[in-house]
Amino acid sequence: MKLALAFLGALAFAALPFLTSSNYIIGVGISALTFTVAAAALNLVYGFAGLLSFAQLGFWGIGGYAAALTVVTFGGTFWEGVLWAALLNGAIALVVGYPTLRTNRHAFVISTLTFALLVTLIARDWVSLTRGPLGIPNLPSPEAFGQRFDTPAKFYWIAWAFAVATIAFLYALCSSRIGRTLVAIKQNEPLTRAQGISPMPYKLAAFAVGAAITGAAGGVYCFELRIIDPTFLDFYYMQTFLIIVIIGGTGSFWGVIAAGIALSALPEVLRFSEDLRMIIYGVILVAAMFVMPSGVAGWLRERRLTAMREALR
Amino acid sequence: MSAILRLSGLRKAYAGVRALDGVSFEVEAGSITGLIGPNGSGKSTAIDCISGFQKLDAGTVTLAGTDITGRPAHHIARTGLMRTFQTVRVYERLSLADNLAIAAQQFDPATWVDEFLRTRRYRQAVEASERRARELVELIGLERYYNAEAGILSYGQKKLVALAAALMPHPKIVVLDEPVAGVNPSRIREIEVALQQLNEAGETFLIVEHNVEFITTLCHRVIVLEQGRKLTEGTAAEIHTDPRVLEAYLGMTPEMAEAEMRGAA
Repeated sequence: MKLALAFLGALAFAALPFLTSSNYIIGVGISALTFTVAAAALNLVYGFAGLLSFAQLGFWGIGGYAAALTVVTFGGTFWEGVLWAALLNGAIALVVGYPTLRTNRHAFVISTLTFALLVTLIARDWVSLTRGPLGIPNLPSPEAFGQRFDTPAKFYWIAWAFAVATIAFLYALCSSRIGRTLVAIKQNEPLTRAQGISPMPYKLAAFAVGAAITGAAGGVYCFELRIIDPTFLDFYYMQTFLIIVIIGGTGSFWGVIAAGIALSALPEVLRFSEDLRMIIYGVILVAAMFVMPSGVAGWLRERRLTAMREALR
Repeated sequence: MSAILRLSGLRKAYAGVRALDGVSFEVEAGSITGLIGPNGSGKSTAIDCISGFQKLDAGTVTLAGTDITGRPAHHIARTGLMRTFQTVRVYERLSLADNLAIAAQQFDPATWVDEFLRTRRYRQAVEASERRARELVELIGLERYYNAEAGILSYGQKKLVALAAALMPHPKIVVLDEPVAGVNPSRIREIEVALQQLNEAGETFLIVEHNVEFITTLCHRVIVLEQGRKLTEGTAAEIHTDPRVLEAYLGMTPEMAEAEMRGAA
């Protein structure tokens, strides 16, 4: 049922370039797809494994720079760039995660936040590599099979295929025993240890996969912007991913996907009132948190549980 | 009968306090062994050290001939020692079915590759695990909650779920940390019966408990700890009349105990 809906949703999104010729709407669609992927990756780390990681912002930035530099400095293709973005981030996550995942919850949050700030610093100050505050402009359009993906509508296909592939992969992971074990570790780590499960490899794997996918999403997104500079590491992105996960419902796979699409579109829908737009957006977010403190999925779950308690009375 | 769990010379100190001061005892395969003692006598420390949740200062723990001293907790569990916790631990937001399945998953041969490819090995493992889970859920009388989240259960019911989870992978020994503390008295009898049935089916238990009546009806052998040392050890009947135990544990003289027993009868 959920899978059928997801399939229909994916098809509906594929149809967007046929429904509109507005580059603006297609641009919003591309953002919605890439942000949703990054949020789904954060959901794996935070919602499933219970690790509140601000390092996602750093991975997003490293991914963007890795992809851009692969093309501009090292003469690779866009596809190689995205691949490197994923691999490099996965490797960095293993190195960063191994020590930080041994610390307690709070220390982990602070370490990941520090990591993100460090990446920002490198992006701005390692001028010989990143070209500093000026950034790298004029990123070329991707090419494949003799096709140049040089219009927004064409680039949209790349973002769409990327989103469908990564979300399908994440779904397979989250709905497997591995996903279930991550949830168990989040809920009661000592109990998992008493049941023969070593939590560390699971957490590390979730952190690395989350980093690789976030990095790949960053790689795709900077080619949509056609430029990468230190503003790519603006906290705005982290905030967006986190809001999507919280509103969707931490640990709810489809809740977060739906929230990703809805919340990426919402600020744009509110453009009818340019001055009040972000204020209305904020009010909607606060109201949502008041009514549904565990997100949309959490709210639905509560209703289901209440019904179940009644039925078992 | 042979010893499945063998502890010798366990020592553990916290900030100068000797929680365990040279404790040795054995648990026979197929037995129910009780571990009692007043608060602070070292029972919980003993369990935590045996199961790898705390590091011993000295001493050795042998499980079915394998030296498990100092191994990490998950390693000891895989060797065949499953434990429960004094304050009940279940996965509150997962169904009973998942609670039980997770408890067994480390013990079946199916890997994530098997799962991804849905190999026969994976399907067989899942089937076997589900069969075992249904069996145990029936034993603890919670069939109708099989697909419900564990969080909606009462405290006593959760203790039963924790017991069932510990039994899932057919462990060599199950260590229960206060299985009836905080459980409604009317349910204690049910737990007693369930444990007896399981024991008759061949399960070995080591039980830490404050409820002396529960221990003496159930256990073949009882070990009494006091201030980190083994005070004595014997059958339930021997322990019940041992003047040292009565004084240390119940704080009464044999005459008082006798008077009380007459009163109860």
